[in-house]
Amino acid sequence: MITLKNIKKSYFIGERELPILKGINLEIKEGEFVILMGVSGSGKTTLMNIIGLLDKQTEGEFYFMDTFVDGLDDEALASFRNRHIGFVFQQFFLLPYLNAIENVLIPMVYSDKQIKHPRDKAKRLLEKFGLLERIHNRPSQLSGGEQQRVAIARALINDPSLVLADEPTGALDSKTGNEIMQLFGMLNEDGKTVIVVTHDPKLASFGKRLIRIEDGTISEDITA
Amino acid sequence: MGLSQKISQLREFLEETIKILYYYRSRVIFSFSGVALGILSICVIVTTIDGANRKAYEIFEALGPDAIMIFSGSERQRTARERVNTLTIYDADSLQRIGGIYDVLKIYAVRGVNMKYQDRKWQTMVAGGTENYFTSFKWGLQSGSFFGSKEYDNAEAVCVIGAKVYEELFKGESAIGKVIQIGQLPTKVVGVLEERGGTVGGPNIDDRVVMPLTTVMSRLSNEKRFLTMIRLKTSRDPDATIEDVKSVLRSNHGIQGTEDDFTTRSSKDILQFVSVISGSLFLFLGTAAIVALVVSGFVLANLFYLTIQERKKDIGIRRAYGATRKGILLSFLFESVFITIIGGIAGVLLSIALQGTFEKLFDIPMVFSFKVVVFSLIFSFLTGLLSGLKPAMKASRIEPIEAIRG
Repeated sequence: MITLKNIKKSYFIGERELPILKGINLEIKEGEFVILMGVSGSGKTTLMNIIGLLDKQTEGEFYFMDTFVDGLDDEALASFRNRHIGFVFQQFFLLPYLNAIENVLIPMVYSDKQIKHPRDKAKRLLEKFGLLERIHNRPSQLSGGEQQRVAIARALINDPSLVLADEPTGALDSKTGNEIMQLFGMLNEDGKTVIVVTHDPKLASFGKRLIRIEDGTISEDITA
Repeated sequence: MGLSQKISQLREFLEETIKILYYYRSRVIFSFSGVALGILSICVIVTTIDGANRKAYEIFEALGPDAIMIFSGSERQRTARERVNTLTIYDADSLQRIGGIYDVLKIYAVRGVNMKYQDRKWQTMVAGGTENYFTSFKWGLQSGSFFGSKEYDNAEAVCVIGAKVYEELFKGESAIGKVIQIGQLPTKVVGVLEERGGTVGGPNIDDRVVMPLTTVMSRLSNEKRFLTMIRLKTSRDPDATIEDVKSVLRSNHGIQGTEDDFTTRSSKDILQFVSVISGSLFLFLGTAAIVALVVSGFVLANLFYLTIQERKKDIGIRRAYGATRKGILLSFLFESVFITIIGGIAGVLLSIALQGTFEKLFDIPMVFSFKVVVFSLIFSFLTGLLSGLKPAMKASRIEPIEAIRG
């Protein structure tokens, strides 16, 4: 599903090159549940942004769903993200002026997939996550855990094959965090490929594969 | 992609836009009311000018498109409001012989005449005219009758009063048969003219008293020879007739190559004068309206620009979920155009609602037309488009990762 060949990423501060990723080789297959672990500054978020087609590598080759994605234009990348990736973020990023179900439906506005009755589907997703009574609530009326579950429903509305989560438990207490991680496990069992990026070692046990990033390289890659 | 899906996406998008605008309503309301006021003033201006033009055209029609006016005194003297009488009854009679002229109205007008009915006083112009005065001006009566040849030939003290004079002296009571004092002359009112309404920037047409020319000349001002004005109607081209009129009068007055001591006007000239006035009205008020729109456009652009920073995450998440740069650009443009179009519609509706008030205020009818509405909507659209362009471009340039990281 994802193939990274010698991926390098540097930022330039004036003349100085600041290497973030120093040659990542990685293959992730369909149906995997990967925990991408690293301390702050290790390059894990940059790697996630590249995998999520939100950022571009400086060097190396990247294949996504067997497509060589380097050199795709803005429109093609946007369409790729829309079709194949569901994002979950630490800060949830729900839109304040929309209620839960409307937030879930956001990707549909940009989608050209044929999904029948998207509203019913959004409702089913929220129901599955125990939010049936909350569908008309604004984000400000929801708890952190509820907001994150709405965000996960939003990530799933367009049937992506990959769910990409960046510190999804970072803003939650550990009990709620564990519930969210269990939710990802459930999604994985339903066939979704899941990648969770985190610095929190306690989350390692939730995944099936642990990839540790240290100083821009993969230092450990264990499949349970 | 199916059409029904496209439609439901569009509906979703529209609903979202409305929710966004509602969420940022305190800012939206500023831009909205600015545009609404700008459009309101444009509507008032355009409809008022249309109204004024229609009025002018009605006057033109009433005067008769074939009418020619000749006044005593040169252009220069008239401009300086120097009143000299140079036209004579003899002039009028010789003009009658020019081919194509079928109606000659002789007028001797006296300005600033004091008049009195019981304890009510008024001061206005008294026009002494030949019997054809009313037919020539196509002027009807609201009550009573005109004076006829008997009153004319005998120089009787009778008068027909304008609607304004009637209002001032009689305040709605019956005037027919009553005697009013005009100057020193007790005069019987035989008729009241129907109301014509004021011209734009001109004197009130209804503020006048009409009497037989004979009476005015012999009993009101002791004038035997001169006239203030002659009014002609021609079946030929007015401009060609005016040339004939000029040569006859020049020969009568012994003018050779020097300045004419009379002034000619055709109905066309009057119409032109009215359109010059409404043209400058348009320029002045139009500028004010455009300034209002431009200012509200800037307000909109600035407020919009400010919200972009606040909505960075909003933009980032949409980009992550598949919005293209173009999509973001269009949605922000749509937002600003939406505000201004709604503002424009509100402005149009407001101007329709306030029509009565404005008509009373300016004493000019407002004429609403399809043109006004289309104009307003185009202006609103352009305001939204131009002021939304820069903020929308800024929004579209936001990278998802910088938005999400922050």
